[in-house]
Amino acid sequence: MRPYFEKMPEFGTALKKGQIKRGEDNTLRLKEVEGEIAAAVDVIKNAGLPEAKINARGVMTVWQRLEYLVDPGTWSPLHMLYNPADNSEGTTNVIDGLGKISGKWAVIIGFDNKVMAGAWLAGQSENILRVTDLAKRLNVPLVWLVNCSGAKLTEQEQFYANRRGAGAPFYRHAELNQMGIPVLAGIYGTNPAGGGYQSISPTILFAHKDCNIAVGGAGIVSGMAPKGGFDAASAEQLIESTRHFKSNPPGTPKVHYDETGFFRYVYEEEKGVLDGLKDYMKDIPAYNPKFFRVAEPAEPKFDIQDLYKLLPIDQKKVYDFDEILARLVDNSESMEFRPDYGPEVYTGLCKVDGYLVGIIGNRQGYLGKGYPEYADYPGIGGKLYRQGMIKMNEFVTLAGRDRIPLIWFQDTSGIDVGDTAEKAELLGIGQSLVYSIQQSGIPQMMVLLRKGSAAAHYLLGGPQGNDTNAFSIGTAASEVYVMHGETAAVAMYSRRLVKEKDAGNPLEPVIEKMNKVVEDYKTFSRPKYCAKVGYVDEIVNMDDIRQYMKAFTGSAYQNPKSICPQHQMILPRIIKG
Amino acid sequence: MSEELLAPLAGKIIQIDVKVGDKVEEDDDALVIEAMKMETPIYIPCDGTVVKINVKEGGEVEEDDVLLVIE
Repeated sequence: MRPYFEKMPEFGTALKKGQIKRGEDNTLRLKEVEGEIAAAVDVIKNAGLPEAKINARGVMTVWQRLEYLVDPGTWSPLHMLYNPADNSEGTTNVIDGLGKISGKWAVIIGFDNKVMAGAWLAGQSENILRVTDLAKRLNVPLVWLVNCSGAKLTEQEQFYANRRGAGAPFYRHAELNQMGIPVLAGIYGTNPAGGGYQSISPTILFAHKDCNIAVGGAGIVSGMAPKGGFDAASAEQLIESTRHFKSNPPGTPKVHYDETGFFRYVYEEEKGVLDGLKDYMKDIPAYNPKFFRVAEPAEPKFDIQDLYKLLPIDQKKVYDFDEILARLVDNSESMEFRPDYGPEVYTGLCKVDGYLVGIIGNRQGYLGKGYPEYADYPGIGGKLYRQGMIKMNEFVTLAGRDRIPLIWFQDTSGIDVGDTAEKAELLGIGQSLVYSIQQSGIPQMMVLLRKGSAAAHYLLGGPQGNDTNAFSIGTAASEVYVMHGETAAVAMYSRRLVKEKDAGNPLEPVIEKMNKVVEDYKTFSRPKYCAKVGYVDEIVNMDDIRQYMKAFTGSAYQNPKSICPQHQMILPRIIKG
Repeated sequence: MSEELLAPLAGKIIQIDVKVGDKVEEDDDALVIEAMKMETPIYIPCDGTVVKINVKEGGEVEEDDVLLVIE
């Protein structure tokens, strides 16, 4: 298939003078939002005790461990701002992302030992489940840096129990093991109770000499027999037993290496644990990239910085999606699928780091005379019409057949509406796309370039596809809402306005409420909020989008669960005709 | 030699960036048409001088209307 893939048709054009000039203000506005996101991420990175204080105890921080463990230039963090329960700490207290260890992609997650010694907090299990799901989608190892002091006891009611509560990740580890996906755990510090199960549930345990893991830690063992209250005598007894357990905590390597053998290895140095993980990662099953690559990796022909000038942060401004894509794929080459059909979406094959990927993206702007063909009104990009949705169904189905991972670029205002659109079957074809995505079973990544809105947000490869979407990223221009705030205010209050008008009442109180809806919609749709509640897994800088595409593609091809031989693929033949 | 800039779509003119007599370069901003809640910027097609503008801000245009002329 070399003639198909080694050199595909080139696309994209260099920025013109006018675009460069116009793009300057847009660049500043995008970078301003990126600066706000970076500042918020810095707060999370610096949460809890200062690094120097942790180091003074002879202990590395989770960030120092990650830096030592992960291959330079490959760390692609996720969930940095994820805090769905709005914890006062600002974090779920786990740090995670995709990265290479010893040249192999892995999903990596660690407790932030600066914050309450790595305690369980509200929302943390949701974060962990996203991470275990990610390892499952991509079929790559999960590497843990366990350092978990157990539950934050003053807030245990928020996360201890429940279907997706703090115990659920242990079942996910079991599930990953059943699927043949290894979970490696480097273990540090004191890990009682929940922390003990965080430590014992992975596949292979790499322990630091000063760590301990136990069903119950010192605090619990000291007070396991409630007596209805406390008095001076019981306080004295408590002091004595606490002193004892502090110096002799349950579950040290003396027990779990020498006696039970739960720990496969024990290391004197903190870095030794990480070296052990690195050593094991060398032997993790992974195809040599040459097995799947269809060409030598190549950078795009155009500067990725152009993206700041090409993607308008102003949601009403149109842009050329193909020019965006030309800055993100290898050598700016593409084999477009059905270019003369469904002009509101791009579908095609491109290369990322030498690997074949399917790309689907909303195009913007006026779609030309006579489109959509079933209506007497004009079509505009960002919206979905009959042809575009049929084309996506075909493309996803064929990519699934050919086992080609998909990357979606979403910027949609919705699906065409009204009786004409209903007669054109858009409701049914939309759900057909959901079926096609689910049926494909291939890993998918979504980039929310700008807007995710209305039911179209559900159809375009995003997080709602729990079994297919590996992760989603957003940009400084991302917004997510069911409809525009002003549209929502009209839907909620237009009848009320009529009533008040007919009754001769002042309209100002209703208008005030309508404006409040508009403001709320703004607040609850912006990038930082999207990241906090998990609408996307990370907000990334424009010039980092390709790095995440490479992480996704490399991971998806590292050890895929099924293969289509390149010379038996049908999608490239259909494109060629 | 003159070149006409045509409206690529029907809509409302919400912004005009040039005036008669302006020296312009290809790809400079010409005007903005709003249609279907989206703003479509229209760019100058060639280097030259604006000799005629047929539209006003707030005015409606049909597809293929001549928006302005460059000489």
